[in-house]
Amino acid sequence: MQETEIHDLSDDADYAASQQQGSASMMRCESGKRSSSNEPEGAEVVYMKDNVTIHPTQFASERISGRLKLIKQSSSLFMTWIPYKGQSTNARLSEKDMNLYTIRAVPFADVRSIRRHTPAFGWQYIIVVLSSGLAFPPLYFYNGGVREFLATVKQHVVLLRSAEHANVFLVNDFQNPLQRTLSSLELPRAVSLSIVPSTPVSGGESASQENGERTDVDVLDGSPSIRQFYRRERQKVHDPARDISMQLLEKFSLVTKFAREATSQLFWETPSNAFSLFERGSSNLSAIDSSQKPRDDVLELPVPVPPDPLELDKLSLAWGKPRQPPLGLEEWATFLDSEGRVVDSKALRKRIFYGGVEHKLRKEVWEVLLGYQSYESTYAEKEYQRSNRKTEYEIIKNQWQSISPEQEKRFTKFRERKGLIEKDVVRTDRSISFYGGDGNANLSFLHNVLLTYSFYNFDLGYCQGMSDLLSPILFVMEDESESFWCFVALMERLGPNFNRDQNGMHSQLFALSKLVELLDAPLHNYFKQKDCLNYFICFRWILLQFKRELEYDQTMRLWEVLWTHHFSEHLHLYVCVALLKRYRGKIIGEQMEFDTLLKFINELSGHIDIDVTLRDAEALCLCAGENGSACIPPGTPPSLPREGGFLFNSELDDTVL
Amino acid sequence: MASCRRMLLKVIILGNSGYVNRKFSNQYKATIGADFLTKEVQYEDRLFTLQIWDTAGQERFQSLGVAFYRGADCCVLVYDVNVMKSFDNLNNWREEFLIQASPSDPENFPFVVLGNKVDVDGGNSRVVSEKKVKAWCASKGNIPYFETSAKEGFNVDAAFECITKNALKNEPEEEM
Repeated sequence: MQETEIHDLSDDADYAASQQQGSASMMRCESGKRSSSNEPEGAEVVYMKDNVTIHPTQFASERISGRLKLIKQSSSLFMTWIPYKGQSTNARLSEKDMNLYTIRAVPFADVRSIRRHTPAFGWQYIIVVLSSGLAFPPLYFYNGGVREFLATVKQHVVLLRSAEHANVFLVNDFQNPLQRTLSSLELPRAVSLSIVPSTPVSGGESASQENGERTDVDVLDGSPSIRQFYRRERQKVHDPARDISMQLLEKFSLVTKFAREATSQLFWETPSNAFSLFERGSSNLSAIDSSQKPRDDVLELPVPVPPDPLELDKLSLAWGKPRQPPLGLEEWATFLDSEGRVVDSKALRKRIFYGGVEHKLRKEVWEVLLGYQSYESTYAEKEYQRSNRKTEYEIIKNQWQSISPEQEKRFTKFRERKGLIEKDVVRTDRSISFYGGDGNANLSFLHNVLLTYSFYNFDLGYCQGMSDLLSPILFVMEDESESFWCFVALMERLGPNFNRDQNGMHSQLFALSKLVELLDAPLHNYFKQKDCLNYFICFRWILLQFKRELEYDQTMRLWEVLWTHHFSEHLHLYVCVALLKRYRGKIIGEQMEFDTLLKFINELSGHIDIDVTLRDAEALCLCAGENGSACIPPGTPPSLPREGGFLFNSELDDTVL
Repeated sequence: MASCRRMLLKVIILGNSGYVNRKFSNQYKATIGADFLTKEVQYEDRLFTLQIWDTAGQERFQSLGVAFYRGADCCVLVYDVNVMKSFDNLNNWREEFLIQASPSDPENFPFVVLGNKVDVDGGNSRVVSEKKVKAWCASKGNIPYFETSAKEGFNVDAAFECITKNALKNEPEEEM
C-alpha cells in the first residue's frame, strides 16, 4: 500500500464552520479550493466530504469525525479519511485510536469493492474492502453524499455494480467479462441515481433527513402502495415510527470496534466471497421462518403486510454482535484474582452477555450471576457461605419435615401446597434424563426445594411455573441447598410475577405493549385491531423466561445472558419484541386472531434459534435506547428490589393457596 | 357462511381436578397462561370442532380469564369426586367465569359439570356424593352433570356430546 503523508488540513475553525453551515455542497466548493493548494504536487481533490464518521465502540458518544477525500494524482485515484484534530468526543479515544483509524491515501488500485449501505432509517455508510481482503470500518456520512461519492469514483475508475448484490460496487473488476457486461446493463440506473442533485438545505440534520427520505423510496422501489404507506406513516406528527427513526438517526451508526474487527474478519476468512457471508446470515434467518422473505413474497399473502419500520434483519446486521463461544475455564480464570474474587464484574457480565458460559462452569458462575455469592468473595468466603447456607437451609426444611401426618390432617394449607407441588414435580421436564424415570431422586430434590421455599417465603408460597424455573437450577447445581439459595436469588427478581395480584406480570405485559408500539407501530396497530394489546399471548414467555419455548440447553444459555443485566434488566422484553417482529409477516399476513395467535405462539416452542433472537433483541434494545427504557415502569421485574423496599407485595388470602 | 362459522365451538374447562388435561390435551406439563386443543365431535350428523381451552389451574392466574374466556360457547366445570374442596370451589369457578367472560345472558349460559376421577381406589375414596352435586347443579339452572374418568376414558364421549349440544343451545336458530 502506498503511504503518502497527507497533511491534516482540517483545523478547528474548519470543523466549526462545517458544524454551523452544515451544507455539504457549500463546504465542498469552499474548502475544496482552499485545500487543493496544499495537496502534493499535481494532486487534485475531486471530492471532499466533511463529517464522515466512524464509531470505534458501540457508544454514540464515542465517534471520530473526519474528512473524506478523493484525490486524483497522475491518473490514479486515492481515498483519504483524516480525523479532525482534538475533536474526539470522548476522552477515552486517544490520539492513538485516531491514528489507528486514519486512512492515508489508499490507491483505488488496491480497492476491490465498496458496499453501499443506505438503510431506510439512520445514516448511510459505506464499507471499503481492499483487494487484500481487509476492510475499513464503516464510514458514516452524517451529511449524506454516498451517491455523490460513488458517482465521483466512477468518473475516475471502472466501477461496476455487482450482479449479485445491488449495493456492492466492484472496483476495477476485469476478471469476469460476462458479469461485467451484464452488470453494465444496470449502470444507467446507478448513474441516474447518482446524478440526482442534492437539494440545497440549510441544516445538517435536515440534510440527513432528506437523504433518509429519498432512501426510503429507493429501498422500496417497485411497490407504490408500500411506498405511499411509508410516506403516510412518516408524515404523521406523533408517529412513534418517526420518533424511533429520529432515535435511529442519532444512534444507528454506532458501529462497534468489535463490529469493525468482525467485519474485517469476515472478509479475511473468505476474501473471494466476502459478502456472501452477509447473505448466508440472512438466509439462515429465513430458514427459521419462511415468512421472512422479501416483500414480493409477502404480496402473495391475502393481506398486504405493512413494512417493518426497523427492518430487523438489517438492524441486527448493523447492531447485534455475532455471538461468541461460551466462556471457558481458562478465560474465566482471567477474570479472577489469585483468591477467587471477580476483578471486573462489569467486564465479566459483558463477556457472558455475548456468549454465555460453558456448562461445566455454570455452577460457579451462576451462583455469582444470581447474587447468591458475591463477586467480591474469595474462594474461602464462598466456601464459608456455602456451609452456613446449608445449615440455614436444613433449618427451614426441617420446619415442614417435622410436621407429623396427624398434624398434616389439620393443616389444610400445607396439604394443599404440598399436593400442588407433588402434582407439578412429576410433570416437570420428565423427558430429560436428569428428571426421567420412576423414583428419580432428583424429583425429590425438586419437591424438597419447592416446599422449603414455600416456608421460606410463606406469603408467596408455591405457584405453578416455579417448578419450571427451579428445574435448570437444580440441573446445574446438583445440590439441594445450593439450588435452594440460587432459586431464592432468582425469585428476588421474578417473585412479583407470581404475586396474587399479578402486578409483576401486568407491568411487564404493559411494558411489552409500549415497546412494540415504539419499535413496530404497524404491528402494534394490528394487535390493537385484533384486541390483543393485553399481550396475554406472551404470558408464558415472560412468566417462565422462555423455559417452555426453548430446548433445555438453550434455556440455560438465555437465562445466563438475561441475568447479566448488561444493557438492560429487561432484555427478555426485547426478546419478546424480537420474536414478534420476526413473525410479524406471518401474523399479519394470515390475519391471526387472538386464539390462532395464541396457538401460533405456543407452537413456536422448540422452533426458536436463541442466538439469532438474542442478536435481534440486542439490536432492538440498543436502538430503542432511552425511549425503550421509558416504556418500562420502574420496579418492573426482574428489577432487583430497591434497598429496604418491598420484596413481595403479596396479599394474604385464606381462600386460596 | 354463518353455519361454517358455527362449526367451531369454544369450550372453557375450569376447576381443580388435577389431571383432567392429561387425557383431554395429552400434555404432561402444567398449563401456563392458556392453551387449547381442538377435538372433532359428531353431533346429529354434523361435524363440530370443539376448541377446548385449558387455562392455568391456579386461582392466582384468574385475572387472565378476561381474555381467555371471551367468546366461549360453553364452560365445563370439573371437580375431583375425591376432594371436597374441589367441589366447594365449583361455585367460585362458575361465578368467576361469569364475571370474566361476561356473557350476554349469564342466567342461561351453558355450563356442564364433570365429576372426575371416579375410578380412583375403586370409588372408595370418594367424598362428594352424586346426590350432593346434582342438588347443586339443579340449583344453578339444571346444569347437566357427568361422572367421568379421564384416565379410563369413561363417559368422556358422552360428556363431549353433551358439551356440544349445550354449546349449540345458545346459538341463534338460523344457523341450522
